[in-house]
Amino acid sequence: MKRRTLPVLAAAGLLATGLTSCANAVGGGSDDAAADWPRKGKPITLVVAFDAGGPADAAARQIAPVLEKKLGTTIEVENKTGAGGQVGYTAIANARPDGYTFGGTGSPSVVTAPLDPSRGAKFTRTSFRPLANQVIDPQVVAVRPGSPIKSIKDFIDEGKKHPGKLRVTTTGVQTGEHFALVDLQKKTGAKYGIVHFSEGSAQAMTAFLGKHVDVYVGSVSDLVSQAKQGDLVPIGVMDDKRSPFLPKVPTFKEAGIDITHTTIRGYSAPAGVPDAIAQKMEKALAEVIQDPAVVKKIKALGIEPRYMSGKDYAAYWKNQETTYKKLLPLTKEK
Amino acid sequence: MSMMADLIGGFATALSLTNLMYALIGCVVGTAIGVLPGIGPVAGVALLIPLTLNLPPTSAIIMLAAIFYGSQYGGTITSVLLNTPGEAASAITTIDGYAMTKKGRAGAALTIAAVGSFVGGTVATIGLVAAAKPLGSLGLKIGPPEFFSLVILGLSLLVCLAGTSLTKALISGVLGLMIAMVGIDPVGGAPRFTFGNEFLLDGVSFVAAIVGLFGLSEILNTGTERPGRVKAPNLRALLPTREEWRRSRPAIGRGTVLGFLLGLIPGMTGSVSSLLSYGAEKRFAKHRDELGHGAVEGVAGPETANNAHANAALVPLFTLGIPASPTIAVLMGAFLQQGLTPGPSLFTDHADLAWGIIASLFIGNVILMVLNVPLVRVWTAILSIPPVVLTALILVFMVIGAYTINFSTFDLFVLVLFGLIGLAMRTFDIPLAPLVLTLVLGPLMERSLRESLEISQGDFSIFATRPICVVLLLIALAIACTPILRLRRRAKEPVQGGAR
Repeated sequence: MKRRTLPVLAAAGLLATGLTSCANAVGGGSDDAAADWPRKGKPITLVVAFDAGGPADAAARQIAPVLEKKLGTTIEVENKTGAGGQVGYTAIANARPDGYTFGGTGSPSVVTAPLDPSRGAKFTRTSFRPLANQVIDPQVVAVRPGSPIKSIKDFIDEGKKHPGKLRVTTTGVQTGEHFALVDLQKKTGAKYGIVHFSEGSAQAMTAFLGKHVDVYVGSVSDLVSQAKQGDLVPIGVMDDKRSPFLPKVPTFKEAGIDITHTTIRGYSAPAGVPDAIAQKMEKALAEVIQDPAVVKKIKALGIEPRYMSGKDYAAYWKNQETTYKKLLPLTKEK
Repeated sequence: MSMMADLIGGFATALSLTNLMYALIGCVVGTAIGVLPGIGPVAGVALLIPLTLNLPPTSAIIMLAAIFYGSQYGGTITSVLLNTPGEAASAITTIDGYAMTKKGRAGAALTIAAVGSFVGGTVATIGLVAAAKPLGSLGLKIGPPEFFSLVILGLSLLVCLAGTSLTKALISGVLGLMIAMVGIDPVGGAPRFTFGNEFLLDGVSFVAAIVGLFGLSEILNTGTERPGRVKAPNLRALLPTREEWRRSRPAIGRGTVLGFLLGLIPGMTGSVSSLLSYGAEKRFAKHRDELGHGAVEGVAGPETANNAHANAALVPLFTLGIPASPTIAVLMGAFLQQGLTPGPSLFTDHADLAWGIIASLFIGNVILMVLNVPLVRVWTAILSIPPVVLTALILVFMVIGAYTINFSTFDLFVLVLFGLIGLAMRTFDIPLAPLVLTLVLGPLMERSLRESLEISQGDFSIFATRPICVVLLLIALAIACTPILRLRRRAKEPVQGGAR
């Protein structure tokens, strides 16, 4: 038996390494001048830091075929998932800055991961060259139909009158909802009983509809369906303007509370990519993201398309970083 | 009455030649996805969504749904034949499924799994038709405290998974809980036992660990000897014997009920259903002592449960618009991309489509069975490959499977490490099943406990004041105490015998 085990293991090893290295094949090649970029036949890898089928993946897979046509080379979407996006972001930041690898960057995850040293993130904001933003998904506060809370003001007043009594959901620690809530508490003096549903919005929504918690906080795209059915009533959106999906729901700014909390998803290359290549990528992405067919499909997913140029996206990112840095200590308070 | 008419209308839609074809394609592709390790239902459905965008909505959803439940069945095939679960929900099937293969009963195991899957899926779909609305609100009654109590009930089955020694089962269970602790603390946010490695922030990859524990350790343990004894089975060996049918029936019944009820609860995964079903068989089956040594109940129960679960998981999607599991979330994405909003309004705004999809679930379950029972012959032919080659193939399958979960070489280390852990456990005769149970339930337990305490603001009485919690916890207590009582009774018996 011993004698037969060895060749088996050797055969298996050979086969396995052969197959896995095929799957791994990403062209190395020599550094090309920006003028040839993109070289025909050399694929561009689009790293997605989240699972196939999720909103980040869906958005990337919508633009990939259109971008292929525009650039005249293939785009390979690669899901590198794990640690709330951190694994994928690391892959983007560490890729060779030659224009053949770029990826989806989404905030708050890409912004917050490097802020907490215990997470051991090997990138910061400056590891990326933002190219364009594609979508925005603001935070929204919602209650059940028939709730005595009917407006943003009611919500704040209740949080002041009975501090910590109202049970409010997040989709996990240091997620967009969590930052939004601690920001709101800081700015208004209200206090809420925050319940973290680390499995995400479906879990939080179930607990909310089952009356185990009082108030749902989440992204607009997560509750459009329930709002349509009348299972919940959105009362306030945390964006500069109203959501096209919830045109009747006022913003917190309208209620006099200066608060903006959104998920935005865009695309970035590793820092150090030559300017000439980056500009070509920005131009191609600008056209693809604003392509009417792409915009229509994104809207169908319940997500608001909002194109921003690389420069604007970088500014928005920096701004969010400043906000989150200030709020981070508050998310660790009990 | 009108519902019956709607359903018949739905069958008319689903039985159209094109839709039937898409259901068939979906079943075949789904089975293939289930057979290939690593590509689970989530990734499979997600990757195929773009291909369906140009199809009419009904056909697209019918095909994607077929892929989804087809993959639940496909996972069984590799579990039974190669001792390598194709996806997480079939992990527990490897124990008795592979033991049956070694006894030359692979064909019977696969046939019974196919029939059980059919029964579970069909009954769950009937439930969806008959009582979707009340069932949906039943799911909502399960808040975090009830969820926690349910998980405790699941954990109490650990005592049933003990083989010869309760101590060894507890060692295995606690080891599973410890492994489940690795990763980001779901409430505090701090990384635990990650040693600064970002690949561990999400915890140990479940599929890689399971494949290592069951598959790799078996190969390490026995080298190339083991499948050699298996001859290509003849037709009679493919069919389950009358005895096997008789024993499967109650297991299929239990699996159906368990999988269906757990499927209604958002957040419960198919692997919880199959694990608890296995535990239930260990506890209630007539021949429970044979479980672990190739008992047909150990295949029939879990395989039925995970298919019932898969179909029941559509209830929250149709009634509330909530995706109950990652796979359903992907399916929901497909609805949205077709411009449809899942939820009750689907039945008013797009009634023909909604009923067409439901009817296709019935048809899909039939297709799967019709497809798979004859295919059992083809699958079992794999066993006639010379053992040296077969073992090499299995190893390749495992490595690719572990790698493709996240396309990370880190998972290969996980695979090898868990292969060695499995080998050590086999050597010391420590059962593997309790470890899997706690590895699956551990994170659910922690999460729901801490959510509950956040709701109650640290007050443990939340578990004692909710009726559903109290009932579930009492059942758990009863199950956990039975082996102790049995031990005491056994201790008394010789005395009685002597008196007689």
